[in-house]
Amino acid sequence: MTIISLMGGCSDAPPEGYAKGVYLLLDTSGTYTKELTKAQQLINYMLAMMEPGDTFAVARIDSGSFSEKDIVAKVVLDSRPSIANKQKREFAAQVEAFVTTVKSSSYTDISGGLLQGIEYLNEAKVGNKTIMIYSDLKEELPKGFVRDFDLVLDGFTVQALNVTKLRADNENPQEYLDRLSHWSEKVVLGGGNWLVINDLDKPEALAL
Amino acid sequence: MAIDTSLALNSWGTFLVLLLGGTLILYLAREPAHKAIRALFEGLHAGLRLAAKALQRTRLLIAERNREVLLAQGREQAERELEKEFFEISKFVQRDLGGYPQLQRQMQEQVTRIQDDYERSREVPIPEPDWLDAVESIAKMKNGENPTTASDKILAQVHSSATQQHKENLAAYRKESAVRHRILQTITPFWRKLAYSVDEVGDRLKEIITRSQNIDSQMLRFNDIIAGTDKAERALKASAITQFLIAALVTAIAIGGAFFNFHLIALPMSEMVGSVQRVGGVKVADLAALVIISLEVSAGIFLLESLRITKLFPLIGSMDDRIRRTIMVSAATVLIVLASTESALAFMRDQIAGDLANLRASLAGAEAEATVVAGGISEWIPLAANMILGFILPLALTMVAIPLEYLLQTGRSVFGSLIEILLSAVAIVLRMLAGVIRQLSKVVINFYDLLIAAPLWVEMVIRKSRKNTDEDNKYAGSTDLSRTQTIKE
Repeated sequence: MTIISLMGGCSDAPPEGYAKGVYLLLDTSGTYTKELTKAQQLINYMLAMMEPGDTFAVARIDSGSFSEKDIVAKVVLDSRPSIANKQKREFAAQVEAFVTTVKSSSYTDISGGLLQGIEYLNEAKVGNKTIMIYSDLKEELPKGFVRDFDLVLDGFTVQALNVTKLRADNENPQEYLDRLSHWSEKVVLGGGNWLVINDLDKPEALAL
Repeated sequence: MAIDTSLALNSWGTFLVLLLGGTLILYLAREPAHKAIRALFEGLHAGLRLAAKALQRTRLLIAERNREVLLAQGREQAERELEKEFFEISKFVQRDLGGYPQLQRQMQEQVTRIQDDYERSREVPIPEPDWLDAVESIAKMKNGENPTTASDKILAQVHSSATQQHKENLAAYRKESAVRHRILQTITPFWRKLAYSVDEVGDRLKEIITRSQNIDSQMLRFNDIIAGTDKAERALKASAITQFLIAALVTAIAIGGAFFNFHLIALPMSEMVGSVQRVGGVKVADLAALVIISLEVSAGIFLLESLRITKLFPLIGSMDDRIRRTIMVSAATVLIVLASTESALAFMRDQIAGDLANLRASLAGAEAEATVVAGGISEWIPLAANMILGFILPLALTMVAIPLEYLLQTGRSVFGSLIEILLSAVAIVLRMLAGVIRQLSKVVINFYDLLIAAPLWVEMVIRKSRKNTDEDNKYAGSTDLSRTQTIKE
């Protein structure tokens, strides 16, 4: 029995209980594109913190984000540290290429991106699932797009990063607060944990 | 059905009825209640006393067992030490005193040679010259005869011959003296050698005396242990505690070394077996590193066992010498191979850590600074230190078998003593608790009586009045009797 359990423990199946999965959504709409350089630093930091077996994906929030083509880079880090380091370098290069060549999108489909993130991390079968949204959290959908659904976020942590204040927020801060509470409510109702981190200089704030 | 207590208490009538009814019931049930309380507390008291006695009995049994174990271990150790001493003295006698006849012969030879040389160096007196009588005769002639120049010539000739002979004799004497001196000079080393031999014999005899004194003291200790005296037990206990503490300290240091060793090879092991898979929440790479360290410790134990330094596995010590040597060589080979592997892993660890540091630096945009530092002294010294430690630590870990053996041997008596103390303490606490419970029963009974103080007071008053009445009646009865007797008289 012990040998069988040991063999089972040593199988090639992914370690569901221990691996971390992070899906980072980057807002590329309008003026927020300027914030992407900061986002790149954040991604590099996250990459340095990732361990073999972890899953990391960076996707853009486009006009219609519920699509595979919006994933900028994704990786499941190899169990060997040397290979994992190589994968991290390639990942960082892909992100850099994206940040330098990114074009602004007209709309911001946060719900679609979230749904894509949930599907991706569920498929990755990781133990610790985190979706990070690097955005001002203002959703704008093209005409005809419907995003009227409930999110299923059991076991997920959703972190809103660098939620910048818009000009309208300055005029009426309530809009900013309403935006935050809308997404918080949506995440919590879906069974997930909600966090807002605006000071990215604190590394402990991004601890997974 | 729920009862509204607050309502009931608010109603004074109900409260009074309940109070009086309750007091009356308590008063009526006083005797059985007292008995029940007394029985309950007595039962608890008896139970605790019984438990305390049982613990004391167990403590005595354990103490007896500890004593037997301690004496047995002490006897075994004393036997081992005595055996070692006898072996040493036997080896000494065979090695050093076994050659004594030869030494004696050498000394006799040296004495003989010294005697011979001394004889040879003895001075032989020079014989008187034969012509002295002739000189005397010629001298006499000078007085009686005609003194002529013939005698002068003869005397001159004799003088000349005597001088010549004196010179020759002096030369011969000097030559002989030189020979004698040379002979005496050759005696000196023999004297020295003889003196050295005598000193050597003296030293050896002194060592024998020291060893025999040592054996005497050990025999006394051994006899004490065999007799099972308290003195021997106390000495063994103190020795066991000291050895246990020292062994525990050394084992803790060894565990620290193993911990350091583990961190040295855990990262490179993840490069070999992967760092993702887990068994029971522990990474397989970490387990693999632990297995390697355990193998090293096991190989070390087998090596020391086969060398008969430790006796954790008596079977190995009692094996045939050829098999024992095979085990020794195998264990040593395994150790060397594992130590070399660890050294290589330490090298790999340095490479991986360097790669990771470079990656982090490049991700943080500090590539320029990283390349400047690369290849410096700060890089190869840690690498060399890692590799050396990777090789030495496994070999050092083999020595853990010695403190481990002491820890296991002395642990029995030390833990036995601790259990004894613990049992004794618990027994005392139980006895104290039993005493407290006995007193508590009196307190509870008095408290019960306090609750029914009113009816008890009434009872006391009634009894008192009844007693007075009885006494009055008795007094009246006795007065009537005396009056009747008086009338009769």
